[in-house]
Amino acid sequence: MTRTSAPGVRVDDLTVVYKTPAGELPALGGVSLSLAPGTITGIVGESGSGKSTLALSLLNAVQSPGRIKNGTVEIDGLGNIVELKGEDLRKARGRQVGYVFQAAQNSLNPLKTVGKQLLDLGRSHDFDDLPALLKDARSLLGRMGLDGGRVLDSYQHELSGGMRQRVGIMLALVLNAHLVVLDEPTTALDMITQAAILRIVREVHHERGLTTLIVTHDMGVAAEVTDSLAVMYGGRVVEHGPTTEVLGAPRHPYTKGLIRAIPRLSGDIDGATALPGRPPTLGTIPLQGCVFRERCPMRIAVCDTVDPVPVTRDARTVACHAVGRLATPVVPKEYA
Amino acid sequence: MKTVVRRLSGHLARGLAMIWVVTTLSFVIIRNIPGDPVRGQYEKLIEQGMSPDAAERATAALYGFLPKGSLWSQYVDYLNGLIHGNLGQSLSTPGTGVATIIGSAAKWTILPVLGGTLLSFLLGVTLGVYAAVKRSGKLGDALSISGSLLHGVPQYVIALLVVAVFSTLWPILPSGGPVDIMFTPGFNGPYIASLIQHATLPVLTYALASYGGWILAMKSSVATVLGDDFIMAAELRGMSRGILFRYIARNAILPLFTILALSLGMLFGGAIFIESIFNYPGLGLLLVNSIGARDYALMGGTFLVLTVAIVIANIAADLLYAVIDPRVRKGETA
Repeated sequence: MTRTSAPGVRVDDLTVVYKTPAGELPALGGVSLSLAPGTITGIVGESGSGKSTLALSLLNAVQSPGRIKNGTVEIDGLGNIVELKGEDLRKARGRQVGYVFQAAQNSLNPLKTVGKQLLDLGRSHDFDDLPALLKDARSLLGRMGLDGGRVLDSYQHELSGGMRQRVGIMLALVLNAHLVVLDEPTTALDMITQAAILRIVREVHHERGLTTLIVTHDMGVAAEVTDSLAVMYGGRVVEHGPTTEVLGAPRHPYTKGLIRAIPRLSGDIDGATALPGRPPTLGTIPLQGCVFRERCPMRIAVCDTVDPVPVTRDARTVACHAVGRLATPVVPKEYA
Repeated sequence: MKTVVRRLSGHLARGLAMIWVVTTLSFVIIRNIPGDPVRGQYEKLIEQGMSPDAAERATAALYGFLPKGSLWSQYVDYLNGLIHGNLGQSLSTPGTGVATIIGSAAKWTILPVLGGTLLSFLLGVTLGVYAAVKRSGKLGDALSISGSLLHGVPQYVIALLVVAVFSTLWPILPSGGPVDIMFTPGFNGPYIASLIQHATLPVLTYALASYGGWILAMKSSVATVLGDDFIMAAELRGMSRGILFRYIARNAILPLFTILALSLGMLFGGAIFIESIFNYPGLGLLLVNSIGARDYALMGGTFLVLTVAIVIANIAADLLYAVIDPRVRKGETA
């Protein structure tokens, strides 16, 4: 019943709306995105761009007052998770799709030891061989550089942020899920712990043969671990392609702006240029036309009225009128 | 184990200090209430025509002693008596020890109030969970409103309503007294049945009067826990509903635990209004009567029992808290 190989994921035309006093506002406006089996895909974007909403959609877990209004999320071996309900959905979560929370979040019950919560997890998913589950957990934790026995006997408050995060990764993997979603896994961790966690994510990904999705707002994290990178803005994937290409030769004006905003370790700090303007919030996302046009240096007339359709060419997908019109991308002056 | 002993001894030392402070305060306050029963008796006898000497002798014989000496020496005598476990002699029922009177009143208070408190706790906590989970629905609204309403109505109003409904409009239960005198006290069916019959309305009143507080406290506690990250995490890991419910309930009930322990301590104060209305000879009624009669020793004794009970309840709550919350367990060493 559990897959032993990495599943592919196809998100198609996914629209998620949040109910507000001003009516239902779209957090995701028709997102399409494919995760190739066995790859690590990163999602980057500013706060409020819909990254976490997209990540939660992979478990059909968009939190109220939000709801999936339209679209499908096809996961190999599981089908369209948007249509799963009740017990079927509960059993898919954890067993087929593992989810790792932000490090800063307290994702463990403060009143129970890690080991007892692991047993709760095993029982919830009808595991008969609980000793084997404990053994797996210990070896996973050992794999991540922790003393498994000690950690299983610990309460959440006895663990450091980095340790908790590794426990979170263990809990996402221990049931043998082959699709793992990590939502800002290194936010709020110090640089050394962050590097360790990223190394673990990459190693475990390869060892176990997973399909991994990492949500982050840190371009450095994305560059370090991901094979392919999706850039989100205003509830849309504006650019998607192999990480080296997206970062090395960005096509969408937003991606270009993001990359120019990264300060360099050496050289003048003023070399980094912040994007002008602010990202749209749920209430200010334009209902027609391109969501990025207000901040876009390449804005043309059609941007005001028509939402650009993502166009795929050479494994790169870009949603931009200005880029789409040109056979070869032209770098505008201010980015040269 | 060592830390438990150290904690306990610290608690005990603090508890004793607290008891001493309350005892001293109540001693000073009680002696400063206007009215002096011994002097009243003495003057009454003189008015009846006794000579002052004879009146003094008669009063001393009645109470077993005559208050002499300064307030300070009385205080030292009182404390000395307490240390030896002697609460003194009652003034309003001469010749009876305070401890005996309190002991016989306590049994009429503790069982009904304990029953009422536990009943309302269980009911309030269970319904509080539903009120929190269904807080945007009609059932949740109804439960919350019932909680606020009962929480807002004073005990004695509830008591009177209960009497009106079950003793007057629909006379199925007795409206007062602890038991029918026609039955022989002891472990026999009719006597116990009568006890239960008489206790039903007071217990119902206690339960109704405190139920509102529990349901409101539990509702807000559950609502807070529901918003905690680990609940969503457990949900996304596919934890079963039963386990999820236990996670929520156990975390939400923690803050209520202290309140429960304290209200169990308050048990020994009796419920003054309820006992007066139901003419139930418990500690609350005893306290009211002793104040009316200026029975210093009995007043002091009732206050002392209440203080000790609350201090013990506090210590018990603290120790039990460490058992149910691992974060407190190591709190002192960390």
